[in-house]
Amino acid sequence: MAVQAASQTIVENSAEGITSGVNRILGGIISYARWPAAASPAPRDMCLVGAPRLTGRIAPIVPGGQAVTVRRTTAAGAISGGCDIIFLGHMPVADRQRLIGWVRGRPVLTITDDDPNCSFGAMFCLNGGPSKISFSVNLDAIGRGPLRIDPRVLKIGSDDGGAR
Amino acid sequence: MTTRPPDREGARTTLQKLLSRFHFGITLFAVALSGITILLAGITTLRSYADHNIELAARLGAYGAEPALVFNDPQAAREGLEPLMRLPGIARLRLLDDRGHPLYQWTSPRGDPAPLLTRLFFPHPFAATVQRNGSVIGRIEVWGDSSTLIDYVRIGALAGLGCLLITALGTIILARRFEYELVKPLGEIATVAHDVRLHRRFDKRVQSLGIVELDRLGGDINALLDELQGWQGTMESENALLAHRASHDMLTAMPNRAAFDEQLRQRIQTAQAKERRFALLFIDADNFKAANDNHGHAAGDAVLVALSERIKDTLRKGDFAARIGGDEFIVIIDPLDGAIDPRELADRIRAGASQPVALPGGQHYRLGISVGAAVYPDDGADARTLLTAADAAMYADKLVKRPT
Repeated sequence: MAVQAASQTIVENSAEGITSGVNRILGGIISYARWPAAASPAPRDMCLVGAPRLTGRIAPIVPGGQAVTVRRTTAAGAISGGCDIIFLGHMPVADRQRLIGWVRGRPVLTITDDDPNCSFGAMFCLNGGPSKISFSVNLDAIGRGPLRIDPRVLKIGSDDGGAR
Repeated sequence: MTTRPPDREGARTTLQKLLSRFHFGITLFAVALSGITILLAGITTLRSYADHNIELAARLGAYGAEPALVFNDPQAAREGLEPLMRLPGIARLRLLDDRGHPLYQWTSPRGDPAPLLTRLFFPHPFAATVQRNGSVIGRIEVWGDSSTLIDYVRIGALAGLGCLLITALGTIILARRFEYELVKPLGEIATVAHDVRLHRRFDKRVQSLGIVELDRLGGDINALLDELQGWQGTMESENALLAHRASHDMLTAMPNRAAFDEQLRQRIQTAQAKERRFALLFIDADNFKAANDNHGHAAGDAVLVALSERIKDTLRKGDFAARIGGDEFIVIIDPLDGAIDPRELADRIRAGASQPVALPGGQHYRLGISVGAAVYPDDGADARTLLTAADAAMYADKLVKRPT
């Protein structure tokens, strides 16, 4: 499984700083993702499943002002449809497996903040540190879906992950 | 007449050197002009290329560093800008976020070879904004350096030096060629002029040289030589005429008194050396004054001419006759061997002279002459004595005839 510890965003060491950092990273990832033309048009719908670990206030800041609507739902609710993005917070392992299994082959972006090794099958994994937030990319997960991610984002951190 | 080699004088120079210097000057000027033009044009072009290059680099950097700005990640910025750091001619990079804070900075480890040139050509960094979905998220600034320009100028200077070398070579070859084409014909003209002046070879002529201006010069020289040759010929013939006039009598075309004196001196010398004898006949026309008075001067002249002709007719080869006075003639009979009697000769002349002479008026005149002979060395060993003896003999002859 190709997992890359990727970007490390420098944030102010406060709750406010972490929240804005997370939302900024989320917005950045969303802005570099390309949904197939057949998918539903913008604004993108983000389904929040489980409890986010880094911040309670998930509201992605997309550069360029593209709007993202965020709604809280359950795993079953997410599967029932209408989600372009699924944010996986802390949740039972069974739910997570169900969601990951369902997403495979569908144009849905998955992001989690509850998988430091990025090994459970989400496409992007956020990690919080003392004064920085980093994200990793699961290339296998991205490769399985029809979603296209800007290679510049995939490339970030691919060269010297060992240096981190 | 001092002849001095022309190239010994310091102030003067040969035509070849002059041409060579001229050629070198002109070619150098042309090469320098074109070289500087090309160099300036090249620098201008290169500068615009460098500007373009930096602009492209900034764009590339903006593209590569975009995610880094989105995620506010200096490490990603370094990775995104890495391709730019490998480009030549980029001295410094700076990535600023949307608030103007530098996210990442890089300065080339290669030192600037010419900071002055860099300041001159790249006074300001090239900046490009980084946009994401239409909104500005940051700015990238790129400073160029003059390394590419320095390379170009260095190569240009080297090429210029090469051109200079070729110029010098070409000039030498050209000057050699000029020497062959121009100096050689000039040398031929000079040779002819020299020959004419030194050896009086007025028959020498300049050959055709194949160059219009030089041919004109050669033609003029030839014309001048023609004239000189003409003058020379005229002068020679006039000299001969004058010499003849100085030694001859105008009326009878016989040698005159001066020529006779010289001739007699020589004959005496010769006779002395070879121990030979010769005779001197002194001839004088009788009553010539009366003939002149009675018949006029024209008649007198005709009589003198007739007498001279008759005297000449009696001469042998080697004999000499001269008119030394109005009606006085002298004949040198030389050599005088035993077979010849001067008296007999005198009689022959007397008989020839006594033939009637046709005068211009249609009349005839019978001339009588008196002849006196003297023999060297019997009657005298020097000119004066011989002449006196001959004169005396002639007088005696005249006196004998007077009574009749």
